[in-house]
Amino acid sequence: MRRGIGLALVVLVASVVAGTANGGQRTENAAAASQAVSCKGTLKIGIVTPLTGGAGFLGQEQLSWAKYAVKTLAKPLGLKIQLVNGDTPVEQGAAVAQTVAQKFVADPKVVGVIGPATSGGAVASTQTYFQAGIPTVNPSATQTALTQGPKKTGSPAFFRVVPGDYIQGPTDAHYMIDKLHVKKVAIIDFQEPYSVGLANAVESTLKKAGVSTVRLSAPNTTTDYSAYVTKVPNDADVVFFPTQKPPDAQTFAQQLLEQGKKAKVFGSDGSNDPTAFKVPGSYVSNFAPDITGIPADKGLINGWKNDNPGKSVGSFGPPAYGATQVLLNAIQKACAKDHGVLKQRRDVLRQVKHVRIKNWILGGSFRFSTKTNDPLNAKFYIFQIQSNGSYKLVA
Amino acid sequence: MDTFIQLTVDALTLGSVYALIALGYTLVYGVLKLLNFAHGDVFMVGSFIGFGVLQLLGGTSNPAVPVWVLLTLVTLAAMAGCAGLGVAIERFAYRPLRDAPRIAPLISALGVSFFLANSMQLLFGAAPRNYDTFALSNGALYLKGFDVGDVRVPLLRVITIGSAFVLMILLWLLVNRTRTGKAMRATSFDREAAAMMGIDIDRVIVFTFVLGSALAGAAGVMFALRVPTQVSIGFVAGLKGFTAAVIGGIGSIPGAMAGGLLLGFAESYTQGYVSTKWSDLVVFSILVAFMIFRPQGLFGRADIRKV
Repeated sequence: MRRGIGLALVVLVASVVAGTANGGQRTENAAAASQAVSCKGTLKIGIVTPLTGGAGFLGQEQLSWAKYAVKTLAKPLGLKIQLVNGDTPVEQGAAVAQTVAQKFVADPKVVGVIGPATSGGAVASTQTYFQAGIPTVNPSATQTALTQGPKKTGSPAFFRVVPGDYIQGPTDAHYMIDKLHVKKVAIIDFQEPYSVGLANAVESTLKKAGVSTVRLSAPNTTTDYSAYVTKVPNDADVVFFPTQKPPDAQTFAQQLLEQGKKAKVFGSDGSNDPTAFKVPGSYVSNFAPDITGIPADKGLINGWKNDNPGKSVGSFGPPAYGATQVLLNAIQKACAKDHGVLKQRRDVLRQVKHVRIKNWILGGSFRFSTKTNDPLNAKFYIFQIQSNGSYKLVA
Repeated sequence: MDTFIQLTVDALTLGSVYALIALGYTLVYGVLKLLNFAHGDVFMVGSFIGFGVLQLLGGTSNPAVPVWVLLTLVTLAAMAGCAGLGVAIERFAYRPLRDAPRIAPLISALGVSFFLANSMQLLFGAAPRNYDTFALSNGALYLKGFDVGDVRVPLLRVITIGSAFVLMILLWLLVNRTRTGKAMRATSFDREAAAMMGIDIDRVIVFTFVLGSALAGAAGVMFALRVPTQVSIGFVAGLKGFTAAVIGGIGSIPGAMAGGLLLGFAESYTQGYVSTKWSDLVVFSILVAFMIFRPQGLFGRADIRKV
């Protein structure tokens, strides 16, 4: 009996201590959120992306373009900006994005965030940023529910400069139907929000068009796909493979060839990496075109290449430049409205939606939709991998 | 029928890698009665050594030597590197605790596992390393082979399964037909009595670690020839190898071989005929079933003590 009471007391004390600690954190965050910051001093922008791990290529590319945007755009807008990194390796799941969010929220000088790069990370941390009044402008999270639908997962602090899977899914499916004339498609998801949402979107569009589908589901930790390849029907024309780890798309495509299956791999934006996924004949979709084909971007590309010698322009970096540009403009607007002293971080959040950019890095001009926090009139692009491993824009 | 044949080929590939890992567990347990939980990470290090040597030899797109020489050198380097690592682990993490309570080396093994995984991540990052064997001889290792019915068994699978079985046979011969093997068996049976008969116990234990770790190195390369490797693979591979060793009867060499293959078949057929989502559930349910109904495993002996 005594032991039971003692145990109950320990639990009670532990709960009180934990509650106090949590309350302390909340108070600290609230203080950081409402603390006034001078626009003449250095303000911070966080960038949350996988800088290491299987998707490290993506994060490094985004970081290099965000750095270039800060370097070239902040000064003309009258701002001093420091970019601070938050590494979120995809192998560690979405929870790490929440840890990074708490770190950024506690720093009163962090007035905006680029990312988190993955949909899972964005879902995990969006409420934390919203409660702190920090806007997040996202260059790559495409899950539809982040901005719309009855089960909306994103907070009002979530904005993205790339279209969502509500466009990617149907775009990919229609390409398969109209250009590849598919009869049967195998679709794989990886039991996490990004791939499940995208796989569902593709599957429903294909089914509506009368295409036969086979759905498979692999844990996100799968390394050997042999058993999944075995389950791909011999007469399947395409395997839709929305991974966030391009080497896995390469492995899957190789194992299809190994088993003599004729199906082509169709990857999503997460597998768009010419250095890792290069089996000829495969397809990938992405939210950004090859900007080297946009004449207005020539000077910008040359400038970025000077800062990043030997690196080639990919598809994930330019939207990160765009997201940084949007955020910098919002900060500048908020600073102007608050007469040089940001009263609270929420003032920047209020300005994001009003940002307009005439010469958008991805072509044309940029503004947000009035209905959602998505870009207006954005679209997805489809590439086919050539025999030399290069990506050719086909739609 | 084609699906069955394909799944059987998958099972043999998977099972032979599991068997090689399980042999490392079983050898060390047999001699030291220690569950070497760092063994999965030795497997991971082996796959990274193989990757490094492959790059030194020009990579798969521009190899400096013929393909078969390349694969042999990569495997031998990984085996040698892991053997050295095994010796170091035994010397610094286990030998000082040899006479300590059994929980101490177990905790030390877990510590070594974390140390290896985190050191590798600090040194080489968490990005996957792809051997890209598809680039060798224009994909010949994948596209050539022999046919069973309508199913193609590619050269890479033949090499993986064949090499694993050759290594297992060599190990069996070494343990059963040589003086060193006899010393290992004697040490496993009764360490103190073996020492009294003049067997150098330290030497036998070090040799056991060399053997087990070298097999893990070979398994690491065989695994990474087909799929990208990364620092996190050691944990799951180690867990599967341990399961295989327990199912076969930990301490039994034929048991580890059989356990590995059984695990490969269970995993592959479950993925093929039941559900891809359920394979780990089935595999670990088999482990639980063995622990309850036949704790000594398939080939192990029940531990009878005089009271």
